[in-house]
Amino acid sequence: MGGAERRRDGRGIRAAALLLVLLMMAGCSGPRQYVREDAGVRTIKKIAVLPLASLTADENAGEKIRGLVISELLSRGVDVVEPGEVTRALLEMKVRSLGALTVDDFKALGKRLKVKALMTGSVAAYGMSRGITTTYPEVSIHLMLIDTSNGEIVWSVWHTAGGPSFWTRHFGTEGLTLSETARKAVREAIGALL
Amino acid sequence: MGVLRKYVVVGMIGLLLLGAGCRSSMPSFHIRQDVDFGYIKRVAVLPLNNLTNVRYAAEAVRDVVISELLASGLVDVVVPGDVTAAMDTLGIRSVSSLSAEQIKALGKALGVQAVVFGSVGEFGMVRMGNISAPNVTITLMMAETTSGSIIWSVTTTGTGGGFMARHFGARSETMSETLLRVVRDAIQTLAEYGS
Repeated sequence: MGGAERRRDGRGIRAAALLLVLLMMAGCSGPRQYVREDAGVRTIKKIAVLPLASLTADENAGEKIRGLVISELLSRGVDVVEPGEVTRALLEMKVRSLGALTVDDFKALGKRLKVKALMTGSVAAYGMSRGITTTYPEVSIHLMLIDTSNGEIVWSVWHTAGGPSFWTRHFGTEGLTLSETARKAVREAIGALL
Repeated sequence: MGVLRKYVVVGMIGLLLLGAGCRSSMPSFHIRQDVDFGYIKRVAVLPLNNLTNVRYAAEAVRDVVISELLASGLVDVVVPGDVTAAMDTLGIRSVSSLSAEQIKALGKALGVQAVVFGSVGEFGMVRMGNISAPNVTITLMMAETTSGSIIWSVTTTGTGGGFMARHFGARSETMSETLLRVVRDAIQTLAEYGS
């Protein structure tokens, strides 16, 4: 085999490997989101974050993620209504279940709290899961932004973080903690929008 | 010949690795070919029927369905609270026995062209040989609200622990990743054939 032929072979294998890496990365991209671009979602300056529903065994998962969402929004320059103000408004409106909030409720909350958008959602997973050879943190969140002028969903994302990493599986190295995984999930979800 | 063999080996390894991470759940589905899905701009996703022992399985799957329907760009989705209020007003207690009249009434009350409903059949870990892996099975249906007839139906199942994960230590899916894949596969059938 001549030198030129060997170089061609090397290039071919490198190209195949690169293609493989790209294909594998395609399955591991960031969160897929819905944004209603005509609603000016990215220019909203103040948001009220409603309590999130906990769909997990951890009843406090919703509150834990809500705290992270508020911190993340603030760190990105979005003003957030005091959680106590939100609770008081919900009590005054006699809201029994967050899942039962209607378009009219969202409009009324917007007026009461003087915000253009409300963030609502749920936590589907928050805890340690058992894999084939190891345990790992798993956090899954659903966030929606509601426009208080019409009660429509203007942004939505469902995102998950965690899982067994390569280094933990094969070399027993320490992976992310549950809290770090929760922060990662929130940062990536909010980061997709802002 | 030697060069060809190298390419074949690299290609096979690539396919195996890809297959390990993204096993297709091969949804079985039905779609009415005579229906113009273009006129469906807004849908309501009803609460799903939970056929598992996992307390919040239906709510968790419903959230992913809403999010993925929106992200697909196919349709707008009504706020879940409005759906609950409309069902209460119409006296609909169970989604497993919806009549055509109830579907039409929901369409009028919510201003939607179609409603999506269905069930969660499996949601948890299953034993596969000597390991446990996440397993999710869902059935989704879409009924148009002018006639109340079903125009799309899909059943998808997904299992997280693939061959490579079981035998060669490749990364296995988490429960959430399996759930997301199953819902995406289901909605993809609507995106491909319904648009």
